[in-house]
Amino acid sequence: MSKKLKPLISMSLLGAAVGVLVGCTASDHISVSGSTTVLPAVSKAADSFHMETGKVVIVNAGGSGGGFNQLAEGQTHIGMMSRDITPEEIAQFPDIKFTPIAIGRDAVAPVISSEIYDTGVNSLTLTEIAAIYRGDIDNWKEVGGPDKAIFVIDKESSSGTRQTFMKVVMGNSKAPAKGADLVIGSNNEEQTAITQSDSAIGMLSHAWFNDNVKGIAIEMEDGKLITPTLDMISSGSFPITRDLNIIIRDDITPETQEFVDYLLSERGQSFVSASGYIPVK
Amino acid sequence: MAGVKLQTRPMRSRNFWSKIAHMGIYGSTLVSTALVALILLTLLLQSGPAIFEAGHTLHMTEWNPAEGVFGIVPMIVGSFLVMVIALALAVPTGILAAIYIAETRSESVKRMARSSLEILAGIPSIVYGLIGVAFLSIWIADIFNLQTGRLILTAGILLAVMILPTILSLTEDAISNVPDQYKENAHALGLYRYEVIKEAILPQAKADITGAVLLSLGRALGETMAVMLVIGSIDRLPDPIYNVLSSGQTITSKLGREVGESAFGSTHFSVLVFMSLILVALSLLLTIMSQTFLRADKHRV
Repeated sequence: MSKKLKPLISMSLLGAAVGVLVGCTASDHISVSGSTTVLPAVSKAADSFHMETGKVVIVNAGGSGGGFNQLAEGQTHIGMMSRDITPEEIAQFPDIKFTPIAIGRDAVAPVISSEIYDTGVNSLTLTEIAAIYRGDIDNWKEVGGPDKAIFVIDKESSSGTRQTFMKVVMGNSKAPAKGADLVIGSNNEEQTAITQSDSAIGMLSHAWFNDNVKGIAIEMEDGKLITPTLDMISSGSFPITRDLNIIIRDDITPETQEFVDYLLSERGQSFVSASGYIPVK
Repeated sequence: MAGVKLQTRPMRSRNFWSKIAHMGIYGSTLVSTALVALILLTLLLQSGPAIFEAGHTLHMTEWNPAEGVFGIVPMIVGSFLVMVIALALAVPTGILAAIYIAETRSESVKRMARSSLEILAGIPSIVYGLIGVAFLSIWIADIFNLQTGRLILTAGILLAVMILPTILSLTEDAISNVPDQYKENAHALGLYRYEVIKEAILPQAKADITGAVLLSLGRALGETMAVMLVIGSIDRLPDPIYNVLSSGQTITSKLGREVGESAFGSTHFSVLVFMSLILVALSLLLTIMSQTFLRADKHRV
């Protein structure tokens, strides 16, 4: 597929997702919304659950923060979050008990444009990544690449991907990124933005890597290179990992519980692996 | 006698229906008016925390909800710049094209232009956004040799295309509405065609055209989806402030990005509501101004 066509297709998928978002408010089905990272696994499981039981599960994107808010305000039955619920979020809704359930594990890796990857930049230390996001390093030649300005892509502050990444890289999940040149929302947008640029760095869940969007290894303090591969993630060696959670409330409906059990069943977990994540069972 | 009886019955029932219709019409008007008031009231009330808890940070240029810093200046500047670019491109193009369409003698050109305008106006904004992300922003990055094409300029150009149909069709109406006698008199005085347009038609249509511009300004101000996708969403002032070749943020793109993510009732949410209050106030002002221009015109002619 040509490089010009890919962003178009991923953007039209994004458009379709927005369209779906507008269309659903009825209550005779199970509704799920939240993190675009957790979405692929849950949405595949939802299709199969529908085939097997006839019950309709509607899965929408909206980001981890949005997923939590919609669940808390009773608009959905399940929230998807690619990070933990923050104390502030819990404090907003003191009367409701939320339970996070991990359905898989994932790694967030720094991704760079294939043009830079091909010049030999295949790994960075955590300190270098932090310096890039703080704006202290702004040229690829400072980290062994070509003489080209680094195009730094940041994500919205409520994004689970960003909070996981920043927590490890900067030591604070809400750290501001003064070096950022572009802020985007979903994983689709990130993929598109990296693909369109020839000198970008971003952060992406490893399930979204492809030929144009390459995840790089992290150089540990002892000089060891840890690549974001399934083996390294499941063994716990890769430093930036997180649980992929679904969140339920204690006033859960029986249908919703059935879908939650389905996600944790062997069949449900197969969709977690199929989406490129590590199953929990 | 029988005839009279037959006549009164339909009379009474017509009265009844007319009363129902009257109540319906009256009620609907009341509901619509109340809705406007309700929306304004809600926005005002919800803006409270923004002013009391974050009021001292609103004038800043930094946005960091985690630390309670809510500077909205970059968004206001972004909205302003995007609007200026959109108008600078769309107003001259729209008015010149409208003159051509209104003054051309070929009916088929008129019809073609009108129907393509209707199509342009009917395209949903998300589609413009997709085109902006997939093509326009890449072209602009290539032309200016920049790392990204998601810029204030890109958003402005995209908006210009989006408001062009409004400006064009309203201006065309305005020009067509200038009574023929003005044109004929001007011609009779021996003026050239461009002089007729400049001296006779445009002055007559001026108020209507101003109304059209203000109306489209309102649309530019409120457009969210397309702008959000192409502007880059950086909460930072351009450096220098008129540098439209930098990424930015508008009030609407900020709201689109963050409203779903902020908890209802939090200061963060309240600041977003406050920004939408600014937006509503501005578009109300624009609507009132454009109405005044359009009305003033009617009185005069």
